[in-house]
Amino acid sequence: MSNPEILDINQISKHFERKVALSSLSFSVKKGERVALIGPSGAGKTTLLNILASVIEPDEGQVFLDGEPMQEYADRKKFAKKIGIIRQQFDLVGQLPVIHNVLAGKLADWGFAKSILSLLIPQEKEAAIRSLERVGLPDKVYERTANLSGGEQQRVALARLLVQSPQIVLADEPVASLDPARAEDVLFMLTKLAAEENQTLIASLHSIDYARKYFDRLIALKDGVLFFDLEADKVTDEQLKELYQLKELVR
Amino acid sequence: MNKLSLAYELHKRKLLTLLLTGVFIWSLFAVQWSTGLIHGSGLATAGQIFGAMFQPDVSADILIIALESSWITLAYAAAGMSLAIILAFFLGIWASGVLASGAKSRYFMKGTFRSVLGFMRAIHELVWAWLFVASFGLSPYAAVFALAIPYGGILGRIFADMLNDVPKEPIQALESAGASRIQCLIYGYLPNVRANILSYVMYRFECAVRSSAIMSFVGLGGLGYQIQLSLDDLQYNEVWTFLFFLIGVVVLIDLWSSQLRRRLAL
Amino acid sequence: MRKPKLDFINFSVILSLLIIAGSWFYIIVGQNASLTALFTGKNLEYAAKFFKGLFGVGVEDPAFTNRDSWSSALSLTLDTLQMSIMAIGFATVTMFLTVIPATRTVANGSLTLSKKRYSWISYGLIRVSYVFSRAIPELVWAMVIIFIFKPGILPGAIALALHNFGILGKLCAEVIEDLDKRPARNLASSGASKWQILMYAVLPAVMPQYLTYILYRWEVIMRTTIVVGFVGAGGLGQQFKMSMSFFHYTDITLLLICYIVLVFIADYVSEKSRNFVK
Repeated sequence: MSNPEILDINQISKHFERKVALSSLSFSVKKGERVALIGPSGAGKTTLLNILASVIEPDEGQVFLDGEPMQEYADRKKFAKKIGIIRQQFDLVGQLPVIHNVLAGKLADWGFAKSILSLLIPQEKEAAIRSLERVGLPDKVYERTANLSGGEQQRVALARLLVQSPQIVLADEPVASLDPARAEDVLFMLTKLAAEENQTLIASLHSIDYARKYFDRLIALKDGVLFFDLEADKVTDEQLKELYQLKELVR
Repeated sequence: MNKLSLAYELHKRKLLTLLLTGVFIWSLFAVQWSTGLIHGSGLATAGQIFGAMFQPDVSADILIIALESSWITLAYAAAGMSLAIILAFFLGIWASGVLASGAKSRYFMKGTFRSVLGFMRAIHELVWAWLFVASFGLSPYAAVFALAIPYGGILGRIFADMLNDVPKEPIQALESAGASRIQCLIYGYLPNVRANILSYVMYRFECAVRSSAIMSFVGLGGLGYQIQLSLDDLQYNEVWTFLFFLIGVVVLIDLWSSQLRRRLAL
Repeated sequence: MRKPKLDFINFSVILSLLIIAGSWFYIIVGQNASLTALFTGKNLEYAAKFFKGLFGVGVEDPAFTNRDSWSSALSLTLDTLQMSIMAIGFATVTMFLTVIPATRTVANGSLTLSKKRYSWISYGLIRVSYVFSRAIPELVWAMVIIFIFKPGILPGAIALALHNFGILGKLCAEVIEDLDKRPARNLASSGASKWQILMYAVLPAVMPQYLTYILYRWEVIMRTTIVVGFVGAGGLGQQFKMSMSFFHYTDITLLLICYIVLVFIADYVSEKSRNFVK
């Protein structure tokens, strides 16, 4: 048991109106694994990540986080120690300077008074500066976040995750709105930092190339069901072609 | 130096907020808080007024007066707005300078007519009303003109701003096709701002109803006049009836205009 | 899809034209008001006399050349300025206290990912109070307030604040509703409490717009100070009303000059500060 299961997804289903987003999906993730979720749009990737982030609840089935059912983590502060999320760069508060966006990762630990004080005099500044150094932005500490480029903003979001330091990192299309060079940059950093921090990483990606290059394991979803779940180097081009093929063509 | 300007950029909003808070605190010193600020029976009166809110006078004569006054208020507002629109249309076009041919005459027109508009809206409608009543005597026209002038000033200013914000490309295309300034205005500028200016006029109409209600203060009829009469008679229940009518009219127009604006924005 | 949209707009245009026509008909026929009657010789004589009075023609020692009058007018101007600032201050403070629960995205929990059963109740109550406060003009508020408070600039400030509270509240709640929800939700999912989300994600994002609205409303308040003064709520307006009753026309001119200068200064300061925070 050197690599215990940290996340166990058991038969979860989710419907929106009449549309099935996920149906009886099951898989588990071991500690330290780097998993990419792939599949055509509408396959249920974002729904799955939102369930894991406990933004929405599954209609059926259960998710076990570190051996305990998700409901045990109703306290958001406790949950934030387990799971952190990174989405597209629009998740930062553009009007605030970079340092406050990074320190927002600490809000779960801070009381109200300390979080207000921090807006005037940044608290635990060293932690923020250290993580900004690790993502390569040591000189942007007091810059207005909205003035940064998309790639830089995404790195600020990574620095926030470093400060929050959860055991599992969920990434929902983290590079969707970046150009290829920036995207590789951010993905490289995301996977590297996750490895250094010994974090488990689950990311949804629209690009197969990135998924194969930076992740150990690929989980493909199609129409809300598991299409395949393989190690990254065992996925064949045939399978990928079938995954992205339109229904009409299969028929 | 760079760091300083960066810090300035970051903190200028906080600075302004701090400054404004300071000014507010300074303004509080204008009141002598220690002395009695409330009438001896003030709190009791407040209680009576508040209590009357839940039992407005709904007798037939009061309701008829309220309906009639609501119509007077609405009529003055509508008549005033119609004049204001005409005023704003011409003054706004001149103040935008789109009709001027050269840079110099444009500058001159803009300057002149923008200050005219500024003067029109600087003076509150009630002051205008008082000026008209004092010079021409009590007449509904005093109310209509008093509304038309400041509202014409506001609408004209906004209309001019909108005309100036019209994208330049379609206008240049028209010009190169040989259109005159007037033709550019009719085919280029006006269609471009139509929806926006309509929305704004509707929004202002609601304000005009409120303004029209207070015209009573210089002796002209309407809901405000009735409110004042009832207040003088200490008939708080009647006051609330009229207030509810006023709120009703304003809310109805607000609903109408927000529906219209939503559809115009589509 | 296109047809109903056109219908409603056409209907609105026709209704507006009907209201306007009806209004003019009522004024001209119903109230028997004649435009030409305004310009009878007698009226013109009155008007001429009135304007001569304003400009101090034939008046010994008109107020605008008198030092004492100036100094009392200037002190009233300062009062009026303080009244307007106090008014916008009260309105702003009450707006800040109520705006969060009055926001739809907070009430339904979509902004902070937390929902309480009483959210909708407080949302409804505050929204009704906004409508109420907005629909009643400042002057009417002042007429009521003056029954409770002794004359002075405090009742004036309260009356102005009561009206602007609803306006600011509505505008500012809409700013939060239109906000990009993603940053706030992200903070919520990284464990921030409701209040932390407000401090970190909502407040910095809405502050520039709020400052703009507050400064803009201050301009409007400045213009209205004179009106609430009419009913005894202090400042230039109160003196204006007094001079009017005593037919001291040159005093009125002086007060009007101070008022207009004050309004222009307010416009200028507000525009400059709005550009400053842009």
